[in-house]
Amino acid sequence: MRQQKAGLLGFVGLLNGPQTMGRGWLFWGSFVVVVFLAYIAPTHLGIKPYKVNEFLVSGFLAASLSILWGYGGILSLGQAAFFGIGGYTFGVMGINLWDVTGNTHLAFLGGILVPTIFAAFIGAIMFFARLKGVYIAILMLVLSLLFETFMLQTADPDVYSIGKAMLGGSNGLRPASDIPSAAFGWGDAVAEFNGRRVGFYYFVLTLLIAVYLGLRCLLNSSFGYLLVAIREDPDRTATFGYDVRLIQLAVFCIAAALAGLAGSLDTARINRVDPELVFGVSANIMVVIWVAVGGRKDLTAAILGAITLEWMFLWLTTSGNPEYAQIVMGGILILVMLIAPEGIFIFLGNRLGRLYARSAALVSRQEGD
Amino acid sequence: MNLGTELFGFAFQYIDSIAFLILSAIGLSIIFGMMGVINMAHGELMMIGAYVTAYSIHNGVPVPIAILFAGIGAGIAGVIMERLIIRHFYKQLLSSLVVTWGISMVISQLFLVLFGPTMESLRTPFSTVRILIGGDIGFAILGPESFSALAGASGRLPPGVESFGIYRIIMFVMAVLLIAAIWALMRYTEFGGRARATMDNPKMANALGINTSRIYAYTFGLGSALAGIAGGMFALTASITPFFGAAYTAKAFITVVVGGSANFITGLIGSVLTLGAVQTIFTNMFSVYIGFVGMIAAAFLILLLMPTGISGFIERIKARSK
Repeated sequence: MRQQKAGLLGFVGLLNGPQTMGRGWLFWGSFVVVVFLAYIAPTHLGIKPYKVNEFLVSGFLAASLSILWGYGGILSLGQAAFFGIGGYTFGVMGINLWDVTGNTHLAFLGGILVPTIFAAFIGAIMFFARLKGVYIAILMLVLSLLFETFMLQTADPDVYSIGKAMLGGSNGLRPASDIPSAAFGWGDAVAEFNGRRVGFYYFVLTLLIAVYLGLRCLLNSSFGYLLVAIREDPDRTATFGYDVRLIQLAVFCIAAALAGLAGSLDTARINRVDPELVFGVSANIMVVIWVAVGGRKDLTAAILGAITLEWMFLWLTTSGNPEYAQIVMGGILILVMLIAPEGIFIFLGNRLGRLYARSAALVSRQEGD
Repeated sequence: MNLGTELFGFAFQYIDSIAFLILSAIGLSIIFGMMGVINMAHGELMMIGAYVTAYSIHNGVPVPIAILFAGIGAGIAGVIMERLIIRHFYKQLLSSLVVTWGISMVISQLFLVLFGPTMESLRTPFSTVRILIGGDIGFAILGPESFSALAGASGRLPPGVESFGIYRIIMFVMAVLLIAAIWALMRYTEFGGRARATMDNPKMANALGINTSRIYAYTFGLGSALAGIAGGMFALTASITPFFGAAYTAKAFITVVVGGSANFITGLIGSVLTLGAVQTIFTNMFSVYIGFVGMIAAAFLILLLMPTGISGFIERIKARSK
């Protein structure tokens, strides 16, 4: 294993490691520019927060499938199951705890922990039984649809309510007016972020950048190396003495936690949880499309894929012919899988990197002359 | 209600559930067994079959021929899909899963745009002929007149009598016939021999002069045609929408996964017998939803005990006894 430098240098080294695309000045320079532009976008570039907030939330979900499928090699067609569980947990805890605590700390904690615990349970069964990848993919999708069917038949408030929260069947969690927005702080110093306003945009953007940088460190640590090793050859990794199943379970839980976070943020954003929107087929397939089209084997590419495709989807649904939006999305998926199977952003990144390397070589040769 | 009636009702539900699972899974299981590809667009092929059937019947084609057309239509769609897209993904299991899912989304949305949200429903054939069991009647098959005479003006049957439709039994017979036909095709025809060789060892088969790529295309077409036939048969009992297939695919996936890919015929039979029983028992004891949950739990359990599915388990026992 690579020697890690200690302290701050080690942290920078992890950020910049070989498991994530984009190293060197060109990448970090444009990263700073993009982040800067993103921060001034609502005030100076005319971007409407109520539109783009959704894209940012999708970024977490894309990151979760990217580390699971792209890095870990475990495809889940039902990643939205954890998104939905997180969303419902946040909603139920938020409704019940708002009067007591006046903030959503615990609701967010629950929205992350409950999907993680559930993933630990399901994942322990699946990985320790050494289920094949195809089976895991299908079973997760079926599980997500199972949740959808269950939630759709919870219309009876006498049976299906948790404290003040009613599951509400196809209407979604009720009373919707009591589902809190994201709120942090204590007593009088509570900062509340309305999901349609710019405050929420800054909050989610900052969180996304923090999670992105954190995941880069994780993926470039020895854990990340191990993940990729298992993806490439689980048997050989096992012969080196690693417990493959345990690592797989760990990444499955981390991915579930991220999806749960995305679900909680989404509930806080629109103050609503709708079973068909969070557990349904199209919720699940969209996550797969973002990640496959953007580039599953790189975190940056996957997140960019989610944001750009969501933007495009919104543009398609609001510009005239919404019924074609899903056809276009499916068509893009098929085309990208055929032409650039590694994903658009990884393809572009590789091209750009090669171009950069070639020009750098040219420059150094000229200097040599 | 006496015990005999109850048992018969149980058996009827079991048969119904088996027929449902066989029809929805048979095409999928052939493709999975032969090529290791799980075709996520399976439900959409069924939907194409349903649309072809409905269109044909509305234009005066007799029901059996309409269902045949459904098979042909879906088969052609399947071959086109295979040649254009799926053949590029044979060595990549997970990618084939994703790409077929994309295809499924495109096809269902395309049908939504082209034909609107619903199509005029079809009448179930023989819906007026019913089997009656229990009460004072014992056992009887009644046509429309005698049925309405018995039910009277209220339309309600005498206490203790249960009634079942004939079409369900036809579906079961059809399902069994399809399995038998596929078995015969694989066992006795030249195509079957080549297909089994390809499944066993594609490289060797190719070296011996079998065009494996063509075998894959035919197999995919065959699986799609079976999906189309199933869709056509289901179209006569359900409302037809562009998302028609989704209701069947989840159960079809589970059936195929539990069956495993070692031998798709024994796998399919074993799988539907177990899952059908679980579904019938749990649905009777609790609700339809719990019946579905029970099926998934059973699938989990079976995969934990037999990671290669029921057919893999059977093959291993056979190998050991030799």
